[in-house]
Amino acid sequence: MKGAGDVLLDVKDVRLRLGNAQVLGGISFQVIDRVREGTTTGQVVALLGPSGVGKTRLFRVIAGLDEPDAGTVRDKDNRPLRAGDVGVVFQDYPLLKHRTVVQNLEIAGTVAGMSPETSKKRASELLETFKLGDRSDFYPAQLSGGQRQRVAIAQQIVQPRQLLLMDEPFSGLDPAALEDVAKLIVDVVNLDDLYTIVLVTHDIRAAMTVSDTMHMLGRDRKDGKIVPGAKVQESFDMVKLGLAWQRDIQEMPEFTKLEKELKARFRTL
Amino acid sequence: MSTLSDAFRPNRVVNGRTTGLIVVFWCATTLLLWVLSPWKTLPTPLEILHALSTLWWEHGLGPETFTTLKLISHATLLTIVISLALSYATVIPFFRPLVEGVSKLRFLGLTGLVFPFTLLTGGGYALKVGLLTFGMATFFVTSMAQIVVEIPRAEFDHMRVLGAGEGRILWEVVVRGTLDRALDVLRQNVAMGWAMITMVEGISRAEGGIGALILNQNKHFLLAEVYAILIVILLLGLVMDYGMGVLTNALCPYARLGRVAR
Repeated sequence: MKGAGDVLLDVKDVRLRLGNAQVLGGISFQVIDRVREGTTTGQVVALLGPSGVGKTRLFRVIAGLDEPDAGTVRDKDNRPLRAGDVGVVFQDYPLLKHRTVVQNLEIAGTVAGMSPETSKKRASELLETFKLGDRSDFYPAQLSGGQRQRVAIAQQIVQPRQLLLMDEPFSGLDPAALEDVAKLIVDVVNLDDLYTIVLVTHDIRAAMTVSDTMHMLGRDRKDGKIVPGAKVQESFDMVKLGLAWQRDIQEMPEFTKLEKELKARFRTL
Repeated sequence: MSTLSDAFRPNRVVNGRTTGLIVVFWCATTLLLWVLSPWKTLPTPLEILHALSTLWWEHGLGPETFTTLKLISHATLLTIVISLALSYATVIPFFRPLVEGVSKLRFLGLTGLVFPFTLLTGGGYALKVGLLTFGMATFFVTSMAQIVVEIPRAEFDHMRVLGAGEGRILWEVVVRGTLDRALDVLRQNVAMGWAMITMVEGISRAEGGIGALILNQNKHFLLAEVYAILIVILLLGLVMDYGMGVLTNALCPYARLGRVAR
């Protein structure tokens, strides 16, 4: 049974080396379930960091695809996360190219142990939810970038999973498309109050727009020199700051002020 | 809208009508060169037509062609089973040296292998099937194993995060995910099978076949008959190639979607 204050994801002192390079230098943070009064929505947690800081490596560790050299990643039942435990939307939205859209969704259900009938029903519901009903018999190569992204997200929530990881969902998008993706993320979170999206991004403005909580990743500096290995440098509770889920949030002076501060911090990370 | 002038410019896409005109041009040019050819060793189209008639009515071209088709089909079937099994096995580290070894056997010529294959198969039809399968499979394994090795890691990871077991990943990513390319490789290997057929059927001519027929005509220097058989082989190969193309499009309609016209 889930309740406010529960730890949904516990990342503790995760360290990872690639060859001789220390990429992750002891990352620790928790995703705490939060229920805000008057809402039934889930939440968005952003892992924010400049390019090359090791965000994608951390993403793969949390997804259960790579083993850290040290540290743990545990779920709400204090079990180590394995691949398949959380939904994962990769940056380039991979889909099975030889399967149609509806088949891609159905397979996501059957591989997780759902019956073919249940998978079919769930796939059909999600196609409608994500406005993909008229694309169900299309192959991935026939989809636009936005449609492909929606299918990739829908595929990850065919089976009931509380956490959904997204790698750089705002990367390379023009401002209009970026707004669409931000809205899509909000829509997904609104689908069910159990959903928590953890997104990894370098886009400060987009992350601020959609997040409840932000953890800024970066490397320490000692005597002016960068110390290898990313850590969580600072966390921001956007709800406490009054910057979560506000209409026209980007117009607020507090938003602009924090964005400027974060941009300045980015240059030192 | 493409124009005829696009046919002479690099990296242009031409429409169906222009493509048709280009094909007609090259066919007509080839026919013209053939008719006007000064080389006495190249029989005229009429001589070849006459030879075809002779071969069909007097030398049993029909049954011989059927014999060859049976041989090629049998060898192709075995090649598919052996090569795909070995290629898919590359995902298991234990089998990788074996697959690599089989792939390297493509450097061996068939001629030197006749003796060991005769001992192994007992000769006759089984020998021919064995040699043809060996010739095709070593090349098929080389191409197909490379395709499997080059599957991006992201495709495996995608299935893993969906919660798929390794068996299901093997089926979806390796077997189903490469089916279109496997059929393309098979098309190339069937063509190689046709190229090897003369040599293989020549080993045991008593069994007949179009390869044995061409060697017999060659021995008597009946050039019109030799060319007539070559044309039959070419046409059969083209029909099979077209049929496999149709099969690929039917089984893997998504394959065409990813191809960009240039």
